[in-house]
Amino acid sequence: MIQHIDVHAVLRASVSGVYTDLVTRPTGRAVRERIERDIGDGRAAVAVMDFTGVGCLDYSCADEIVANLLRERVRVLLLRGVTEAHRDAIEAVLAGHGLAVVIERSDGTLEALGPSHTAEGLFQELVARRLAARTPGGTFALTVS
Amino acid sequence: MTRLVEVPVQFDDRSFDQFAGGFAQAMSDGERVLFDAHAAEWASPYGLVGLLAAGDAAGRGRAERPLLTVPTNADVARYWSRIGFFHEAAGLFEIHGRYPKSRPQPESDVLLPVTPVRAAEDVHEVVSRIQQQASAILASEVGLDPKATMGFAMALSEACQNIVEHAGTGGWVAVQSYHWRRRLARRVVVIAVADAGVGFRHSLEPGEAKRFGDRWGDAAALEAALIQGVSRFRDPGRGQGLKGIRNYLARWEGKISIRSGTARISIVPPWDDDVALKDGLPLFPGSQVSILIPEQSSGKP
Repeated sequence: MIQHIDVHAVLRASVSGVYTDLVTRPTGRAVRERIERDIGDGRAAVAVMDFTGVGCLDYSCADEIVANLLRERVRVLLLRGVTEAHRDAIEAVLAGHGLAVVIERSDGTLEALGPSHTAEGLFQELVARRLAARTPGGTFALTVS
Repeated sequence: MTRLVEVPVQFDDRSFDQFAGGFAQAMSDGERVLFDAHAAEWASPYGLVGLLAAGDAAGRGRAERPLLTVPTNADVARYWSRIGFFHEAAGLFEIHGRYPKSRPQPESDVLLPVTPVRAAEDVHEVVSRIQQQASAILASEVGLDPKATMGFAMALSEACQNIVEHAGTGGWVAVQSYHWRRRLARRVVVIAVADAGVGFRHSLEPGEAKRFGDRWGDAAALEAALIQGVSRFRDPGRGQGLKGIRNYLARWEGKISIRSGTARISIVPPWDDDVALKDGLPLFPGSQVSILIPEQSSGKP
């Protein structure tokens, strides 16, 4: 089963509803804890995290949410709705931890972000679970929405 | 008896040490302090938030607030008012002299008026306001790619969070764009953040002092934080904020300087001749951060 996480909705539910930016450690912590409650006990195999509607994402929040979830609660994290600025922050914290995620581009193809030795294993895992397949163009795409 | 601290005529990061020297001397005997800004002709955002931090420190634990004389040049007083300095100063100083009492007016060159930062909510507010106000100016006047605006907001967020997480007290932030004729002959956008809190050395001391041994001090603490990405928090992933700011600035040939205690560290871009690390400066409480991004022309400043 894939865990779906609408980050913007979680942000609005976790802190004051008016903010669209994922900034500061306390905000990141509040969002992560809410996601962890939704995941429940144990570790999710695959989670899709949708950043659509999120404005600024700073390093503190990227670390608190993406890196900590990957370290503790999710095996494969697939990110959707990620802007270039989100990507910069996420890439930096992943490098610091030696972690990797999969990003779904706007055309539906998948791209790994993070150290290559860690990233390659993510595609293999998604394919093994029949959640992704190689496209005719040689890239990967999800087989489920 | 009142001790006098002169506010430099041109008050910016370069003249700040002269101001800090006067401040350290005036604070040494517990007398009331008078900050004399009557001759001030220009102040950068760094100078203004630094002056607020000085006022904060000079009034702490004392029965009387420090005194402040307003610049006699009406244009200067008007500008200080417009950027929101007096709005914040009114709570810290006993102010002498005339100045416009209006609330800070956002104008094209003031991307963010002097704004207090005490809690995470304030950082949210600052980030939200800068995005509403700054993106067009950053693109049209400083030549930043519109996509870089979000990175700018992120750098601002991380700089402000240092106050919330490490200072042990509140501080102030201001962002302004101006033409820097004297040094660069270009437009620049400047983020200035200052507090009069515990400073980097005190914040990092429990975890780092032993590692540095005899070298431990303000300079070593700044080096640990900015260059090595060390944080007082032990969890992995901490200390990435300043590193992130450095990465962002490297892309735009920007400059960051952090002054804390008796030292100042800078990541010096090719267009500047500043020194990377300066120690033995006059003691000034807390931390003062300056982030500067020059106008991009032909891709390079």
